[in-house]
Amino acid sequence: MQFGAMIIDSLRESRDRKTFWVLGGITGIIALVMLSVGFGPEGTSIFFGTWHVESSLFNPQSEAGAARILGVVVYMIMDNFLGWIGLILMLIATAGFFPSMMSKGEIDVVLAKPISRPKLFLYKYVSGMVFVLVQATAFVLVTFLIVGFRWGVWAPGLLLSIPLMVLLFSYLYCVSVLAAVITRSTVAAVLLSLGAWIGFSLPRTALDTLAVFPELDKNSAIYSSMRVLATIPPKTTDIAYLSARWAGAGLSLDIAPTSAMTGPGGGMNQDQLDQIREREKKQFKVSALSSIGSSLLFEAVVLMLAMWRFCRMDF
Amino acid sequence: MVHLAETEITNWAVDLIDARKTYGKNIHALRGVNIQVARGEIFGLLGPNGAGKSTLVKIMMTVIKPDRLSGTVLGRPVGNRKKLAVTGYLPEAHRFPPYLTGNQLLDHYAALAKVPRDVRRKRAPILLDKVGMSQWADTRISKYSKGMLQRLGIAQALINDPELLLLDEPTDGLDPMGRRDVRRMLLELKDQGKTIFINSHLLGELEMVCDRVAILVNGMVARQGTLNELTEHTAEYRITADGDLSDLRIQVERLGCALSRSMIVIAGDDRKIVNQVIDLVRSKGHEIESVVPKRFSLEDVFVEALGSVSETSPMARPPNLQ
Ligand SMILES: Nc1ncnc2c1ncn2[C@@H]1O[C@H](COP(=O)(O)OP(=O)(O)OP(=O)(O)O)[C@@H](O)[C@H]1O
Ligand SMILES: [Mg+2]
Repeated sequence: MQFGAMIIDSLRESRDRKTFWVLGGITGIIALVMLSVGFGPEGTSIFFGTWHVESSLFNPQSEAGAARILGVVVYMIMDNFLGWIGLILMLIATAGFFPSMMSKGEIDVVLAKPISRPKLFLYKYVSGMVFVLVQATAFVLVTFLIVGFRWGVWAPGLLLSIPLMVLLFSYLYCVSVLAAVITRSTVAAVLLSLGAWIGFSLPRTALDTLAVFPELDKNSAIYSSMRVLATIPPKTTDIAYLSARWAGAGLSLDIAPTSAMTGPGGGMNQDQLDQIREREKKQFKVSALSSIGSSLLFEAVVLMLAMWRFCRMDF
Repeated sequence: MVHLAETEITNWAVDLIDARKTYGKNIHALRGVNIQVARGEIFGLLGPNGAGKSTLVKIMMTVIKPDRLSGTVLGRPVGNRKKLAVTGYLPEAHRFPPYLTGNQLLDHYAALAKVPRDVRRKRAPILLDKVGMSQWADTRISKYSKGMLQRLGIAQALINDPELLLLDEPTDGLDPMGRRDVRRMLLELKDQGKTIFINSHLLGELEMVCDRVAILVNGMVARQGTLNELTEHTAEYRITADGDLSDLRIQVERLGCALSRSMIVIAGDDRKIVNQVIDLVRSKGHEIESVVPKRFSLEDVFVEALGSVSETSPMARPPNLQ
């Protein structure tokens, strides 16, 4: 009953945030844009048929075409909306949940209820994700239906993006909550969780950058310490690849034909492209268990810290 | 003064022993507080700003962790969840989620207190009516005035039909009508057998409803007892006679009393001295006009307690336990 009450409260609190409606609005706009595009065996129509591009690249009836269409959905739409703008908006919108519950005068009543502090903390944490669950479900469901009805590709695997999105959010939300519990400030929670997002991907970015220099010794101290460092933080970048794989999309490189990237407009030579493809293939094959498992371990440690702090606090 | 048997002591609704709390390194908010509240009584905790009243209540409600505390609330150690479920609490300067309506707020807090849904659905409108907030039940809290928030706060404290009610400055922000309503409500609740613990510095208000009070000064209990016990302790008598009594000055002052023209003021409640003074006055041929025993008000007790705090031991026990 207490958990249910906190979920309902969280929904009401979400509904009260402008960001909630902004996100909903963005979902609506993206849906409209998606509806305006048509993929068929003979070609692609844009803006409700105003323009027509002859191409069999996105033929929903061919396996490769369907994978490309799903690639467009995952890499270009979901990854940009849910994994980028949406994520920032969600972090901003939810950053205030803990500080407002912990504000003087409000926390008193709640702590006086017959609920233990660890339970209260966990309930609040989980119910804070209702916001994201609602947004992700709305977005993915709308996308799934448009891809099915309008584009003719039915990919139930797309729906797995909903839990993946909530998972990605939780990797960062735990940092937001830790910051909120320590500082009781919404601004600090926003800044630190956004900072953590960048921080989490730093070791891997560094590794990728180092890989560009083949003359560098792969056993050097920098290299191996980066590799170890990269295993610790949540694997935020894996989420997009897991989404793509489970939805049945291909590599992001496969969306466009190779000639478009190595040709005059693409500005890459074949070697570079091969290198990037190799790297993407590797990321694409990432083990869900170890990626999600190690990320959740990190999240659990951060949460324990926050909870420990929350349970010992005087208000 | 009666010695209470062990079994009776557990009958206290609140029995706090040696409550201590220091914020940071050197803000000693509570320095060994003993407070006993009997079941079914209205108890007032008085004290100047910063005395530690809210700290004590917050400790009982697990909002703050004491450095040291033994004793019980409703017969169980402080923080027992079964007992928290039957305790109502109105914090001082409370703040409610502004996005809820009055009704939603009551329902939310009732659910957190594990009140079954059908019970809370039935109880909420009754309580809102009691605090005069029926018309505002479905209005967002962000649109409430201060007094309306306070009324809602009181309803909120009652939503789990508590056995013990802790109210921190319950009449803060209320208009005179609201204050009267609260007083009536408290007496009504007392008739139902509930125990009520009120923090306040509004002495007049407490005087009207409280059975017993404690005066907290500087984190220590300076006085504790029934209103009667506290106010009778420091009585004075005023004897007025016809004409000028100046000729008696030396003898009157020798008895430890003060004389001003036709009035003699005898501090304390020693009837023997009063009679001696009367005899003296009459023996000199004066006629007594009036002998008025003057009971000190709670305010006098309060002011006196403030002054005497340095002499109070930090382990002050309530008079009826000594
Ligand atoms: N969270 C806190 N951190 C540090 N010091 C605190 C805190 N809360 C209270 N204090 C200090 O503890 C002492 C007791 O405060 P408390 O709020 O219990 O007083 P009070 O009797 O309720 O006063 P008032 O009548 O003004 O409400 C004060 O000196 C106050 O400064
Ligand atoms: Mg106070």
